Amino acid sequence: MSIVLLLFILLFAQTSLLNAGESPENAYLAELISKSLQAKLADEREWHLLLHYRANVFGGYTSEQDDPGFFMSPDGKTDPQAELQATLKQFFSGELIGRSKQPAQCALIARYEWLRNQLHFDESLLPPQSCERFERWFADFDVESVSLIFASGFMNNPSSTFGHTFLRVDQRGQTDQTRILAYTINYAAELPPNAGPEYAVKGIFGGYRGYFSTIPYYLKVQEYGDIEDRDIWEYKLNFTPEQLRRLLTHAWEMGNAYFDYFFFKENCSYHILSLVEFAEPSLHLTDRFALFTMPSDTIRRLMEKSEMVSTVVYRPSRGTLFRKRKALLPDSEYHWLQKMVVAPSTAKDQEFLDLSPQRQATVLDIASDYLLLKSSGERLNNNPYQQRNRELLLERSKLKIRPENMEISPFTDRPDLGHGTSRASVGVGWRNKQLYQELGIRAAYHDLLDPEKGYTPDAQIEALSLAVRQYGPENWQDSGFEKNFTDTQTRIERFTLVNMVSLSPMDGFFHAPSWKLGLGMNTVRHNNCRLCSNGYFNAGFGGSIESHWFKRELFFAFGEAEANYSSAYEEWHRIGGGGTVGMLADLADRWKLMASGTYLKYALGENSHDVRWFVGSRYTLLQNLALRLEYNHRDRDNDVMFSMQVFF
Amino acid sequence: MSKKVIMLSVAVLFGMQAGLALAANPDTGPGCGLGKLAWGDFSHQKNIGPQVLMATTNGTFWSTTFGISSGTSGCSNDGKVWADQKTTMFAQLNFENLSQEMAQGEGEHLASLATLMGVPTEDHAAFFAMTQERYTSLVKTGETSPVAMVKAINDAIAKHPVLAQNSTR
Repeated sequence: MSIVLLLFILLFAQTSLLNAGESPENAYLAELISKSLQAKLADEREWHLLLHYRANVFGGYTSEQDDPGFFMSPDGKTDPQAELQATLKQFFSGELIGRSKQPAQCALIARYEWLRNQLHFDESLLPPQSCERFERWFADFDVESVSLIFASGFMNNPSSTFGHTFLRVDQRGQTDQTRILAYTINYAAELPPNAGPEYAVKGIFGGYRGYFSTIPYYLKVQEYGDIEDRDIWEYKLNFTPEQLRRLLTHAWEMGNAYFDYFFFKENCSYHILSLVEFAEPSLHLTDRFALFTMPSDTIRRLMEKSEMVSTVVYRPSRGTLFRKRKALLPDSEYHWLQKMVVAPSTAKDQEFLDLSPQRQATVLDIASDYLLLKSSGERLNNNPYQQRNRELLLERSKLKIRPENMEISPFTDRPDLGHGTSRASVGVGWRNKQLYQELGIRAAYHDLLDPEKGYTPDAQIEALSLAVRQYGPENWQDSGFEKNFTDTQTRIERFTLVNMVSLSPMDGFFHAPSWKLGLGMNTVRHNNCRLCSNGYFNAGFGGSIESHWFKRELFFAFGEAEANYSSAYEEWHRIGGGGTVGMLADLADRWKLMASGTYLKYALGENSHDVRWFVGSRYTLLQNLALRLEYNHRDRDNDVMFSMQVFF
Repeated sequence: MSKKVIMLSVAVLFGMQAGLALAANPDTGPGCGLGKLAWGDFSHQKNIGPQVLMATTNGTFWSTTFGISSGTSGCSNDGKVWADQKTTMFAQLNFENLSQEMAQGEGEHLASLATLMGVPTEDHAAFFAMTQERYTSLVKTGETSPVAMVKAINDAIAKHPVLAQNSTR
């Protein structure tokens, strides 16, 4: 008996020794960690997607996520294994972590669900905790599908031509009439009040933090479609319920995260894609964007997998609706429209009332859209446009007529159908009796002659463009077709840091000015210098108007100032002002023509003047292939080039 | 510059992003203060200068209000609209669109409002007709208080022969 008792005591002693050092929890944690090491889970793509790890150039990983509270391990930012172990450990605890202040199982629910599936958690050893807040949030979506929304560029703001993407979580039972009620998942930088030049710099270099938010779609539609005049394209994605849960659980986790906002690379589109990638890890979307992420490129990547996108819906901005519909009005009704937006009492005019109720309704509807458009740009509530709209709508409500169904097609096609955002070109030309070959490369984005499909009309933004030429030989007629290489000259012909042009056609309703801005270097012939590098800065302000003699023409005029810097000038520089007039014409579907003339008088530095002509013509062959013929003239300087552009 | 002073002081006052002009309004429930919120206060959007600059950040208004898992606040519950505020908030923030569509007798904002108010799709036509009928009084009420307008619509639904039967609210 005593031996049994002794054994019993020993056994008990041993187990309590075990307990003192290793609780069942710790033991199970150790087991899970060892299993994860065996399965190499910390190397898995899903784990890296969840933690946003990126491979470093010289080995190792760094997470793009910047909130320390997002990592359970102090080394979490650079050590996937440590983070995995610390995450597993944290699952045993009810401690409230992260900005969202939830237990780890809930705050990091996507990690929890993934690890649980991989390691087959024993619920008796690692009890699941209830995540009420998440379940409520998730159930409220009643998710059926997710759409990727693209807000296109806004006329008069070329930098918005890059577009903006976000996700919309579509509800079961949602119709196209109620889709504005859906929630979106949006990533954006949080800005302090008070706009200033530091916005541009901080936005580019990660000076702000970006967060995820779920803003109702109707607010995004107002922001982009009503206020900012931006057309919206809705790409419905094909996800299974399981993928949808993965996407949403990871989005929930993002409530504990922030990312330093880098306009070029880690922008809205980039981080939105990361959610899509976790939902379907076989999609390698973000890897493709090494230096910069263009929203339209992200859609192109998605469209490459045709099974990913089911339908595309176009949602015109209020501005587009207005412009398109007024263009359909016969002259007589256009005249009523012009009067109506200034004086809504016109609706009571006997002559107006003589029109059929349907026509009256149409004119009033279009007028109302215009007044709402103008009203949203105004600072105050109860601004005159709002007042006029209210007066007008009162009259409209008396006509018990449904709005006329005026089908409109977009000004520009879907963004994914546009040319690639970078461009390489190769050309041959003739300049002042010299033959040359040119090679060019441009990082971004779109100029006035590039194929306009999928891009904001009449807007240009070029950044980081380089052209190199090889001139010569000197007298090619003498040497026939033999090239004497000692006679050739290779030089950097042009470098563009930034070149933006915004042309806003003016008419009775729209008076926004056109403007341009350019900074870079080109090659000029001046004084005794045959081919001289010339730095320039040019800024101009003016207007443009549209016509439809053939297909569509746009005439523009600028007043401008320019500064030049070059060894070619006396005193190395000259600064002056003048103007440009020009024209852009669509000759056919694929054929565009541009012509311009500039006169500048330089008063500071070298006293001189400059007369320039440009005529250029572009023919589109394919989505990513085009041909150009361009002629540039300056004083004693004539340059003709034929080139081919490839977009990628 | 005065516009920026207004924006700055308001933003500082309410700790929200640039341009939001909030006024406390008991109507909207737990102190969200969306009362007189109007998108019109974001006029700076259309000026070239700030626009070009702000374009690099695509900073959006509303991010703080609707931050994911951001906990509860007057305006949102973990980034979503409080269930009992959905209708009033929608009516408030979309008032101009709703006015237009009520006058026209149809529209997606009106259909969405009807849905929020529990009117099934097959009864939407009746709902549109009813709001168009009462346009003048509804809009007058709505101009001062969109919340009161929602209440007025609810009352009208309750008295409507068709809508009263099928409405789920």
